[in-house]
Amino acid sequence: MHMKTKKLSITPQTVCNILILVFFFWFVMACLIMPNINTIWSVFVQEGEITLEPLQKLLGSERAMKSLKNSFILAPSLALTVGFVGISLVLITEYFDIKGASILRLGYMTTLIYGGIILVSGYKFIYGNNGFLTNIFAGIIPSFPTDWFQGYWAVLFVMTFACTSNHMIFLRNAMRAVDFQTVEAAQNMGAGPGKILLKVVLPVLTPSLLAVTILTFITGLSATSAPLLVGGRDFQTITPMILSFSKNVGSRDLAALLALFLGIATIILLVVMMQIEKRGHYMSVSKVKTTIVKQKIRNPVLNVLAHGYAYILFLIYVVPVVLIILFSFTDSATIASRKLSISSFTLKNYEAVFSKATAYKPFLVSIVYSALSAFAVAVLVLAACRIIQKRKDKISTALEYSLLIPWLLPTTLIAIGLITTYNTPRFWMFNKVLTGTTIIMFLGYMIIKIPFTLRMTKAAFFALDDSLEDAARNLGAKPLYTFFRVLLPVVLPTVLAIFALNFNGLLGDYDMSVFMYHPLMQPLGVYIKSLTDSQTNADNSALTFVYAVLMMIISGIVLYLVYGRGENKVKGNNK
Amino acid sequence: MRKALATALTVMMALNLAACSGGGSQQETTAASGAGGATKAAETTKAAEAGTAGESQAAEGSDGLVQGTGVTLTVYTNSGSDGRGDWLVERAAKDGFKIQYIEAGGAEIQNRLLAEKNAPIADVVYGLNSIMWESLKAEDILIPYTPVWAGEIPEGLNDPEGYYHAIVKQAILLVYDENQMSPEEAPKDWLDLWTNEAFDGKYEYLVSLSGGTVRNVLAGILTRYADPAGELGISQEGWDQIAQYYQHGVPAEDGVDLYGQISDPNSPVLCGQMWSSGVETRDQQYGTSTKYVIPEVGVPYAVEAISIVNGTKNEEEAQRFLDWFGSAQIQGEWAQEFSTLPANINAVDKANAFNQEIAQIPAQNIDWGLVAENIDAWVENIELNYMP
Repeated sequence: MHMKTKKLSITPQTVCNILILVFFFWFVMACLIMPNINTIWSVFVQEGEITLEPLQKLLGSERAMKSLKNSFILAPSLALTVGFVGISLVLITEYFDIKGASILRLGYMTTLIYGGIILVSGYKFIYGNNGFLTNIFAGIIPSFPTDWFQGYWAVLFVMTFACTSNHMIFLRNAMRAVDFQTVEAAQNMGAGPGKILLKVVLPVLTPSLLAVTILTFITGLSATSAPLLVGGRDFQTITPMILSFSKNVGSRDLAALLALFLGIATIILLVVMMQIEKRGHYMSVSKVKTTIVKQKIRNPVLNVLAHGYAYILFLIYVVPVVLIILFSFTDSATIASRKLSISSFTLKNYEAVFSKATAYKPFLVSIVYSALSAFAVAVLVLAACRIIQKRKDKISTALEYSLLIPWLLPTTLIAIGLITTYNTPRFWMFNKVLTGTTIIMFLGYMIIKIPFTLRMTKAAFFALDDSLEDAARNLGAKPLYTFFRVLLPVVLPTVLAIFALNFNGLLGDYDMSVFMYHPLMQPLGVYIKSLTDSQTNADNSALTFVYAVLMMIISGIVLYLVYGRGENKVKGNNK
Repeated sequence: MRKALATALTVMMALNLAACSGGGSQQETTAASGAGGATKAAETTKAAEAGTAGESQAAEGSDGLVQGTGVTLTVYTNSGSDGRGDWLVERAAKDGFKIQYIEAGGAEIQNRLLAEKNAPIADVVYGLNSIMWESLKAEDILIPYTPVWAGEIPEGLNDPEGYYHAIVKQAILLVYDENQMSPEEAPKDWLDLWTNEAFDGKYEYLVSLSGGTVRNVLAGILTRYADPAGELGISQEGWDQIAQYYQHGVPAEDGVDLYGQISDPNSPVLCGQMWSSGVETRDQQYGTSTKYVIPEVGVPYAVEAISIVNGTKNEEEAQRFLDWFGSAQIQGEWAQEFSTLPANINAVDKANAFNQEIAQIPAQNIDWGLVAENIDAWVENIELNYMP
């Protein structure tokens, strides 16, 4: 509509816009719809007829129903507990004046560099059977049940602390954008600290809080490692079941159906959130930024309590990481028995890893692939967000929903969909066969990271002040110039943080890579799995820890380069 | 720094896109493998030179072996870890073969082959087990070829129609530690685990059923109750046994080896499933002394085999590779290097003492056709209705 009024004048700008839209149309069709539609179709149509058999199978399975129920119990409870802990972390590091905040922050950020099975193993070293705390309790109370760390509460505990990464990045970013003048104004009007927090600060955090809460909810729905390792018999969730079904050729229909259940729940949640977002633009981010001054807790008792709470959280976060690093210097028997001793200390694991001349190559392959995909997905989603933010019409809504498709299916099925679609020449891929090329894994990596990236980038865009753009335009800036010089710098910290998270997430990927990697380019996840699954090497759990430590180092460096340094720079600009 | 990184990424990205849209992926792959080929050719020359240096050994080693022509073959396997894949690449290069391999779990290799059916990347696949071979054959993934050594394999291990041929035998065992349980106390058969109260909560079962070993164990139990009228070809009694198996066992912990459980005095687990070639290293690692149960019906053998992939563009070279890899000479070297039990009767004497002992265990009579046809459905049924 906008274009029509311009009397058919074809400016480079409109050509560019059209090209971008054409690109997105192609991308959505070729990479998101075509490969996945077959998979979804195969659930309901088998041998040419509509079937309800998979549904009946699932409804008839007590185990599937119980796991599904558990997932739906876990997700909301996790949203609450993670929300509570996440908000406290941000308040401790950014809002209140707590001694040693910068060290505390480093501790709280450890979840950014590791996760999954390794993280849960770290927790088991402390709370599990034979774990440090368990042994202490058992020493004090002889009848103490050593298998206490199991079931719903154990899963909730581990995941509460494991899933605060998004809070530590996005909620923190939001907190730093709070205009301190509003806080000062409230103080001058005599508002108490509690009231200021609830009425002035929290409302500014709301969009980010909504976004990270959705992510937490989704994480809860798709919980895998924690229920597997500490869920015990009574608290298994649905995603491990989906994963094992998706690897079984004959059970893919069940996997897709279960994943659709979760996916639809996710989408419903998102739709609700989108409506809430549309309703209001509740940003009161400062235009003339006044950096926040940390608030002293005046009440001495509360102050001591707050410090105690902050440091207990710190221990909860840091001890598992330290133990993983220590245990990476021992052998599998020590890891299994969870008893550290000086005598079991060895450098052999690291020697084994580094003595191989070819050992560095999987690292290189994974670093390049992860960086390229994380970068590509960032660019793609930035463009998409711009369209969504500017157009606000049917096209942009369709685009937004299409980009969320990868949330509907588990990774394995997306990978299989891509291969089975593009192992013959197809119109949508310019009649090129993709299997066996180096491109297909790059596409796969990109696709699985789109929904998360979209969700978080969009939140950053909504936080943008329209007046910034208006001002730029009034000053005669062209749209592209406005975008690159005015808007991008504001959202850049978030975009870079997402880049780092995506990079770290892809670095050790196995589920996607194993189906797509090129014979000459073995990625890290596959390499590690082949080492640790090996038949004659019994020391596999020790090697898993070594690789986990190496990946922590790479992830840590990337976070520092991309995010840590950027953050300092932004801070500097504010002064 | 941030800018530099971004620029670097942009450049890489641009190159990538250029490669993608410009030459077309096919061409790029050829170029890549061409380059790989060149370096490998150089390596081969080096290897050959090294060969001449230690001449007597090399001459003996290559005696009568089929020689490759240097066409690059892509090999899929689940048996490429512990340096097996790298050893194969180097060893094959000495006889003129250029090998690149993809290594992943058996189920993943199978899935990948199925997904790539219309545009296969692999020329040759080896490893896996009878169940998977049967299913690949049924899916038309393989083409028949009878290698020169086919007659050196004991009867019953090769595919009668010539689609796949056996290279390595692996016994699927129920193991325990002699230090913790005497052979008298030990179970006499899998069924004892849940019919005898003494083993209640003392054995481990796997939660993930995608592995080859666990599927062999399940097949070994279920096929005893084959009943065409029963659910999925198994009688109700058979399914009841499976229900009992899961009720009385302890689920495996992700990331903890069975031997980690057995050797841990705090863990109640005393026995569980193990493949034969994994036993020796675990005994060294965990200080255990493994004994295994020999049920009256025998034990399931996972037979690793080799075959040519339907749609390969290098069929003749693939055939030469099969002739070479399954030969008594190479399988003998393989057995010495990686402590396996060769299927080739002329190579069995190269196996170590432990594997010689394994070779004596009677094989359980299993209807592999029935297993291949139903295993996916069995596993699904167990995951839906029998696992706790």
